[in-house]
Amino acid sequence: MRKLLWCVVLVVLLAVASALAAEKTWESQPGEFKGQTITVLITDPHSAVVESWKPEWEALTGAKVEMVVVPYASLYDKMMTDFITGTGAYDLICWPSTWAGDVMGGGWVLPLEDLMKEYGYPDWDDVVPAIKLIVSWGGKVYALPYDGDCHMLYYRKDALENPDYRAKFKEKYGYEYNIPPKSWEEIMDIAEFFTGWDWDNDGETEYGIAFIAQRKTQAMWSYLDIAMQYAAQPGVAPFFDPDTMEPQVNNPGWVEAMDVIQKLTKFAPPGLLSYGYSELRQAFVSGNSAIALDWGDIGILEQSPEKYGSKVKGLLGYGPLPGAMKTYDFRAKQWIEGYNQVNFLNFGGWVFSISKFSKNPVPAYKFATYFTAPERSLLDVCGVHGYTGANPWRFSHFKNIDKWIEGGWGKDSVTKYLETIQTILSDPKAITDLRIPGAAEYYDYLDLYLAEVLSGTKAPKEACDAIYAEWVKITEAHGKEKQKALYRESLGLPAE
Amino acid sequence: MRKEATKFGFLLPGLLYLMAMAVFPLIWSLTLSLHRWKAATAAPRVFVGIENFLNIFFRDPRFWNSLRFTVLYVAIVVSVELSLGLLLAYILNERIRFRNFFRVLFLLPMAAPPIAVAFTWRMLLNPDAGIVVKILNSLGLNMVRWLTDARLTPFVLMVVDIWEWTPFMFLGLLAAMQSFPVSLYDAAQVDGASRLQIFWFITLPLLLPIMVTLVLLRAIDAFKLFELVFGITGGGPGTSTESLSYYTYTVGFQYFDLGYACALSWVFLVIVLIMANFLLKRLRKEV
Repeated sequence: MRKLLWCVVLVVLLAVASALAAEKTWESQPGEFKGQTITVLITDPHSAVVESWKPEWEALTGAKVEMVVVPYASLYDKMMTDFITGTGAYDLICWPSTWAGDVMGGGWVLPLEDLMKEYGYPDWDDVVPAIKLIVSWGGKVYALPYDGDCHMLYYRKDALENPDYRAKFKEKYGYEYNIPPKSWEEIMDIAEFFTGWDWDNDGETEYGIAFIAQRKTQAMWSYLDIAMQYAAQPGVAPFFDPDTMEPQVNNPGWVEAMDVIQKLTKFAPPGLLSYGYSELRQAFVSGNSAIALDWGDIGILEQSPEKYGSKVKGLLGYGPLPGAMKTYDFRAKQWIEGYNQVNFLNFGGWVFSISKFSKNPVPAYKFATYFTAPERSLLDVCGVHGYTGANPWRFSHFKNIDKWIEGGWGKDSVTKYLETIQTILSDPKAITDLRIPGAAEYYDYLDLYLAEVLSGTKAPKEACDAIYAEWVKITEAHGKEKQKALYRESLGLPAE
Repeated sequence: MRKEATKFGFLLPGLLYLMAMAVFPLIWSLTLSLHRWKAATAAPRVFVGIENFLNIFFRDPRFWNSLRFTVLYVAIVVSVELSLGLLLAYILNERIRFRNFFRVLFLLPMAAPPIAVAFTWRMLLNPDAGIVVKILNSLGLNMVRWLTDARLTPFVLMVVDIWEWTPFMFLGLLAAMQSFPVSLYDAAQVDGASRLQIFWFITLPLLLPIMVTLVLLRAIDAFKLFELVFGITGGGPGTSTESLSYYTYTVGFQYFDLGYACALSWVFLVIVLIMANFLLKRLRKEV
């Protein structure tokens, strides 16, 4: 009897020891979170990612995933209200990394080093360096990457590459444009040339250019595409003077860019000022413009005539942001003549973070690592899962062409598309987006006065001066020295 | 004494609820309005006295812009809704064919949630695919930029508001007309009064008290304009449709400048109280 008792004790001790010795992994285990519920705060179209992976993760782990989907315009206030009140209604939050100053800097989300150390992370080396930057703050990782963001140029090959049209353009303007167009000066002429006639023979009038322009729907990034070329140099962010924290938004470079975007509205569809990101994408893939600027999303929508009404499948070319023939050096306070092209990581990218008020950080972490693992995240960015709003962000995303073809792409199209995005994300001198506290407020004022310029109610210089005045106030309200230190840190500059 | 205590005991739950839901938030928001508090970055609250109110009145052109737009909006929509509501109530008070069907039909816009109305109209007015725009284009009005011209978009919002809330005026006025004694009209007809004379000298004076109430309710409601701006224009083009409510929301829930937002809310409350008081006195004089 005594022997039997000792055997039982030994078996139990061995079982406990092996359980303790078992390696913890980021991979979710069967029944691991049975009975637990996590709540995800998210906006469209990114909810499609959670919708895609929720059923199989729930079946695997026994957990439940509740999704709270809000419009983009309400995401910031929903998220911050939860943080400030400490309600803890959300465990996992999908948010744009440009808000890092408020979200990470405000200490509202968990640093993830401990979880990453304890459970590991699916192939951190596979994450593109530019994306590793956007998930960090003060040297710590606060978010899991999920999306790689940069603006790129889209153009209609059947328009710009048409030899007749090229000849007519040369006759009118005295030069041949580049394909893809290389400068905003070229874009202006091309947009004018392709405005007001039916160049694709579909019985409708087309226009030269389209971009996001509606108030409160990310229009400021359309403007920043241009501002970067006239007001920045590769690797030198143009938002503030990092030595004095004086906003640069009304220097001649920014004013020139504002003038350019105002002029471009003449060559855009009549509904341009109603174009939020959804309207722009729908309009462009319906074939109403020759050129557009957007994140990688138009490329995904292009591939699905049945699902998204695309009339331009296989007709789009891709390129980096056009540059400019002069740029303003805010340090030397003078124009530099000559071609300048700057890649800009607009928006940074959507990321997932765990609220510091979450009572379920481990299942939240494991759900996020589940769908951001290399093979699974590929299905979200390549179109196999439809339009999810996620753009490539791992090296492996750019290598597996077969999955992209399965997602509806043609081989030539996807090769050029991925080449363009990878070039931009890999550019060591690409400028990262503004990431200091108050970024949402800085950009809202930029958006507000941009809207007045686009609607013709304010002149470019007047608008830029108004933005400058508001940016000074915002900086003072947050503490100038504190903002300067954080801005310098975000640029990788040494502290003063 | 015991009776008083019992009465108070029964009133207490209601009083406590009122304190929690109304009085405490008012006091708290007034307290906050005297502070600077950028809540997004977990910054501490700093007492600044009346600085927020001084900034509103003397250093914030956006406040004046939103107030100007809101006052103009209220004046126009309430006037038009009252006029249209009166016309509809007058017509549908008569014995006409399918009267009941039309009465229900004209009430439908008011039954929908305001935010649903806003998003529906946003789709209807979509410049590329919206059916309203397609119809207007077919009538040759395709050069009019309904939602992208800063001079026109405010009036587009007013049209939507009028579509949505005329039924409110119509319902109130029709109900009032239905309650008028028929003998007055019979007597007028016997005396040889024309339809216009009957309307002007009998119907309209009898309607004035209810009109005062309807105008007051509708004006206060219209002053809180938010859903249509949020759903259709986001305050644009530029700030041409940024109402005072929407601006307050932006400051409070986009910038999380909670002290300033509370100050704006108190200014809003005072304006509405002054407006209500003025309207009541002025319109009751007419009665």
